[in-house]
Amino acid sequence: MPSIIKLHAISGAQDESPPCYLLQVDEFRFLLDCGWDEKFNPNFIKELKRYAGQIDAVLLSFPDQQHLGALPYMVGKCGLSCPIYATIPVYKMGQMFMYDLYQSRTNMEEFDIFSLDDVDAAFDKIIQLKYNQTITLKGKGYGLTITPLPAGHMIGGTMWKVVKMGEEDIVYAIDFNHKKERHLNGCDLEKLARPSLLITDAANCMNEQERRRVRDEKLMTNILQTLRKGGNVLIAVDTAGRVLEISHMLDQLWRNKESGLMAYSVVLLNNVSYNVVEFAKSQIEWMSDKLMKTFEGARNNPFQFKHIQLCHSISELNKVPSPKVVLASSPDMESGFSRDLFVQWCSNPLNSIIVTRRTTPGTLARILIEKETSPFTIPLEVKKRVPLEGAELDAYLRSEKGKSLSNIKRYLKDFFYKIASYPNKFFISEEYSSDESDNEMEQVALGKHDLVVKQEVKTKTGFFKSNKKQFPMYPFYEEKIKYDEYGEIVRPEDYKMTDLTLEAEEEVVNKENVQVKEEEMPAVDINEVPTKCVTTVRNLHVAAMIRFIDFEGRSDGSSLNKIVAQLKPHRLLIVKGNPESIQFMANYCRKSTDAKVLTPKTGDVVDATTETHIYQVKLTDALLSSLEFKKIKDAEIAWLDSKLAQKEVDEVIYSEDVTMSESVLGAEIPTLEPVKDLSLSHHATFINKLRLSDFMVVVKKAGYHCEFSGGILQCCNGTIALRKLESGTVTMEGCISPEYYQIRDLLYSQYAIV
Amino acid sequence: MATKVKVESTLPAEESDLLSIRPLGAGQEVGRSCIMLEFKGKKIMLDCGIHPGLSGMDALPFVDLVEADEIDLLLISHFHLDHCGALPWFLQKTSFKGRCFMTHATKAIYRWLLSDYIKVSNIATEQMLYTEADLESSMDKIETINFHEEKDVMGVKFWAYNAGHVLGAAMFMIEIAGVKILYTGDFSRQEDRHLMAAEIPNVHPDVLITESTYGTHVHEKREERESRFTSLVNSIVTRGGRCLIPVFALGRAQELLLILDEYWSQHPELHDVPIYYASSLAKKCMAVYQTYVNAMNDKIKNQIAVSNPFVFKHISNLKGIDHFEDVGPCVVMASPGMMQSGLSRELFESWCSDHKNGVIIAGYCVEGTLAKMILSEPEEITTMAGQKVPLKMSVDYISFSAHTDYQQTRDFIKILKPPHIVLVHGEQNEMNRLKTALIREFEVDPKNKMQIYNPRNTVAVELYFRGEKTAKVMGTLAVEPPKPGNILSGILVKRNFNYLLLDPGDLGRYSDMVISQVVQRQSMHYNGPINLLQHILTQLAGPVESLEDKKLRIFGCIDLTLVDKCVTLEWIASPVNDMYADTVLAAVLQAESVEDVPKSMPSTPTKMDRMHFKECLMEMLQDMFGEDSVPKIFKGDKLHVTVDGKKADIDLEHMVVLCEEDELLQQVVQTAVSKLYNSLSPPKVDTSL
Repeated sequence: MPSIIKLHAISGAQDESPPCYLLQVDEFRFLLDCGWDEKFNPNFIKELKRYAGQIDAVLLSFPDQQHLGALPYMVGKCGLSCPIYATIPVYKMGQMFMYDLYQSRTNMEEFDIFSLDDVDAAFDKIIQLKYNQTITLKGKGYGLTITPLPAGHMIGGTMWKVVKMGEEDIVYAIDFNHKKERHLNGCDLEKLARPSLLITDAANCMNEQERRRVRDEKLMTNILQTLRKGGNVLIAVDTAGRVLEISHMLDQLWRNKESGLMAYSVVLLNNVSYNVVEFAKSQIEWMSDKLMKTFEGARNNPFQFKHIQLCHSISELNKVPSPKVVLASSPDMESGFSRDLFVQWCSNPLNSIIVTRRTTPGTLARILIEKETSPFTIPLEVKKRVPLEGAELDAYLRSEKGKSLSNIKRYLKDFFYKIASYPNKFFISEEYSSDESDNEMEQVALGKHDLVVKQEVKTKTGFFKSNKKQFPMYPFYEEKIKYDEYGEIVRPEDYKMTDLTLEAEEEVVNKENVQVKEEEMPAVDINEVPTKCVTTVRNLHVAAMIRFIDFEGRSDGSSLNKIVAQLKPHRLLIVKGNPESIQFMANYCRKSTDAKVLTPKTGDVVDATTETHIYQVKLTDALLSSLEFKKIKDAEIAWLDSKLAQKEVDEVIYSEDVTMSESVLGAEIPTLEPVKDLSLSHHATFINKLRLSDFMVVVKKAGYHCEFSGGILQCCNGTIALRKLESGTVTMEGCISPEYYQIRDLLYSQYAIV
Repeated sequence: MATKVKVESTLPAEESDLLSIRPLGAGQEVGRSCIMLEFKGKKIMLDCGIHPGLSGMDALPFVDLVEADEIDLLLISHFHLDHCGALPWFLQKTSFKGRCFMTHATKAIYRWLLSDYIKVSNIATEQMLYTEADLESSMDKIETINFHEEKDVMGVKFWAYNAGHVLGAAMFMIEIAGVKILYTGDFSRQEDRHLMAAEIPNVHPDVLITESTYGTHVHEKREERESRFTSLVNSIVTRGGRCLIPVFALGRAQELLLILDEYWSQHPELHDVPIYYASSLAKKCMAVYQTYVNAMNDKIKNQIAVSNPFVFKHISNLKGIDHFEDVGPCVVMASPGMMQSGLSRELFESWCSDHKNGVIIAGYCVEGTLAKMILSEPEEITTMAGQKVPLKMSVDYISFSAHTDYQQTRDFIKILKPPHIVLVHGEQNEMNRLKTALIREFEVDPKNKMQIYNPRNTVAVELYFRGEKTAKVMGTLAVEPPKPGNILSGILVKRNFNYLLLDPGDLGRYSDMVISQVVQRQSMHYNGPINLLQHILTQLAGPVESLEDKKLRIFGCIDLTLVDKCVTLEWIASPVNDMYADTVLAAVLQAESVEDVPKSMPSTPTKMDRMHFKECLMEMLQDMFGEDSVPKIFKGDKLHVTVDGKKADIDLEHMVVLCEEDELLQQVVQTAVSKLYNSLSPPKVDTSL
């Protein structure tokens, strides 16, 4: 009895919403990815919430919001508590994605869908895996193993293989990339041949990609043109996935002395850019063979950037001289610095804005892709956080004072209570107060220090001790005056006006007709300055050049179809992608394979159970030694006539019983014995698929003359002809001659005949 | 699980149950680790090191005893010379064409460590095994494997666990046809400052090949060891001496640096005493240490996010002896660890005659090296130049080498419960002691049937594993549940020790194989008339089907067409059909050779002449049993024969003979009747094939 396999598409089926599927194998429920769209659509999450308690394991494919965005919410707010499986880079980079997303959202609005604690809680549940590491599930999932396989696209990207012991192998592979890239290897399709169920997407099915070189040149010329005109380039990228590919490429470009780019700056801007690059540096073993080789050979860490500067805020960015290229998150431009910069830069026709991936319809990036010809005007909701001023500030301070007073009271109460409970260890209070020091208000209230002690910042990066001076008392740094042939070096910071951001902003604002719709949302910000969030709707005039250059790094249409056809799944389940592309792929696969194709809609539950019959038998040595094995490719085959041995225990183990226990399993497998009955006979079977061109090589090697003419292989001066019919049948014709039999022997040697 | 059975000599290697484990190096010795595994026709080499105490070809393991080109797989456990030192030689200078794996960190350090080794040993010996260029090109042949990642090379499955010995050190679990072998390499179950303790595999191996460097020795606690070390260093420098610590450039050195750096930062009074680390190699490999933090322990993983623990505050790099100002107390860490040659040797020779100085041996030393020799505190030593110099400096030995000790090994074995243990990588005496101790430890438990082996170099341990072979029956064949006595016929597909039994029709569904068809069409000249051909064929093959004009089907599978004096035979190829075709071909050639073609053909009987048969039968029976044994006249299909008063009934319709009295007679008559029938009846072909 085969297992029951069902897939419930909670999101991401027949449209471009983020993937989120519930896969049920018998009693065990996997959640395949847990994505959330850029706008945090609450509808499907409601549906998903209902299953939170039933999910037994979550499998994550990629670290971006599309694939794990809903995880912090599910764990933090809905009580999802099962183990989550992901590769190490997905774990590390996923955290970066979520931190950046949270920070970007907080920078522009009151964001309470999830908190940083939720992110940490969610990622604590992740079990970190390596590629090709097989995990055997226990308990309810007995008999199931899961294996992550490399999928390309993003670092750590995974195709999941779920195997039900001895029978079903389910492959979940979406958004993979079969092509080798600069920093990643392509996906590993070898291990996937003939899965019983393949779950894949058709999102890219109708898109054709340009050749890599053409695409890279396009980006390069675009950047060069804009920079030479004096404009800035904004490249909207993700936080820690595809950005690695683009940043690595740009850094290499900048290193090339002939590129003429050395004079300009290139910046990686997101809230966690430093950490992303650090993590990337320590994950070389997950990257492409080429990068690994250069690292092993020359110890060049590819992510030790020479030219790319890392920035974490707009004000840091403003210190970088223009013209510049900025890689900013997020790719959808719904939030993050890419949106801020878009608002700032779009009106200047000298600038150019490059979108690198097709995001969900309705997002700013997608709107830009669809328009592509500037100039045009779009209404845009601009949200930002501004410091409180005037009356608002007073009101805020008053309410805070009340709060802090009560805080102090509470604190003092705790404090004395603590002292009372440790009468002998009074000194502990010092430690204690430093423990609590995260609360700023309390510290000020107590007046612990009025002396500011500056922490000595360690900025050394070298391996060994530098001859640094020791300061016995007060730190005194004598600044060396640096100079070049023109005299003392001018430090631009000294002459820079502060608050450049605000000014730049105001300029823009003044030019346009603005309808301000203020929402009073005062709150404590991380900057410790009371702020509020303001939402305005502005009609932005977009004059900058807009370009879409495909850096998605996913397999494109034609290859996608070929790959799926080549994998030859018994069942194919297509999720994600617009209905036309799904239809296109489904038709293609129906034509070229014998697979049963299923195309569920969002919310559908489809049954993908395969009615495979299967049982296990033991083979005796006597039986095996009586067989004549014939080699074919990497396997050997033989015809087997055998008898099931008599056994006292007549009970037969079907594979459904595999779930029970191993001891039962070992004991009752029926044994096959050889039969000596000569009356058993069978038709000979020719196994292999012959290609005439291959055969020609064989014939030539054996010393016979042969040539192709009109699809027919002519041998021995045309006395023997071989052709292949549509049906795959090979016909051999010829006059009777010794060569006929010799060629025939050669032909037979191409087959395993049993 | 393993029982001794006789191996059938006829069995091919891959079906044999014999697992042989043969140390080509590191058998009852330390150094040149190299162990051969052979099972089911697969040959695997574990490590390929050199002996640090020997040089040139002598340092190699006994690889001349195996055929390098037959080895399928070579696994390297870690980057120490005694585990990978011979690898460039083996990859470049032998006919080896299998695949070679190591972990990422190992590969990155291997490159630099061996290049350093080439440079260092160039001074000592002329007969180099390989050059920098060989090393460089060997890099392309080495593949990498991540910890826990499963690889499959021609049916051999293997994966790596963290071994804790040095960065990137791995233990390999190898599975061949269900038999699991764990090779520990060098391992340590003690977590230290930067490495995690060796992992305990969650599967039980059938054979454990473990190191036994420290035999029954028990390490002192980490804290004690560290404080002994630091106070020793302290006392040497405070008495105004120079402290030499010979170390392997990579591995334990990083651990010692972490300890010394921390100790110095806690003791400001020592800040005037410089610590030098004389290794350009370590500097080169720092990037590797900074990159592969995922292979280190959690402490480092967490710390690295804040600041890099491998950025030392009190330790300076020393480029070489030329850059060294030998003016006063100092601490110098220098490679190589056993002072065979190089900087550590030079410094030792220039310092050894001053009693204020001290040397601390911090790692394991192999027999035959200077480090091992001075541990016995000789009066004088011989320098590399050949002079005798008195040894006055203090010599201390504090083991920092991260090798398992007796306690760790014992606990490791207790958890894994392997039925077979093979000890390697240990001096003969240590190994024997460990073996005895382990046997004593585990003999208390009567259920435990653990076997421990300590083979010498080139001596194989032979184990028998009766691997149970199971096949999966799938598809049409499996529709009916298995019942004893049922006959199963189908195609058995064997791939990587997995068997699959399928109906030919299902082959395409469950495997990537394709069933094909070959059609043959042979033609030849034929001059004669068709009726002659037909006559001869009928005589040969019985009734011939006439499909259409001038097209005949013979044996139900061979189609013969005669057009314009040309006979064409067409059939679907199969061994049986080919044979029929050859027969038909012979008949055609025979017909061709008939010179005098008769005008009319005698009609060949296609039906049996029953009357004729009956007459013949009577005659035959009379010949056999005498005139009187059969009645003179009979009608219908019933006949009886009487022999010695016993009567046998013959049913001519069904060709059945029945004689209740004498079974022998029944058989004799039956045989006679059927044979006669067969010889008189026209040829009949079983066309089911």
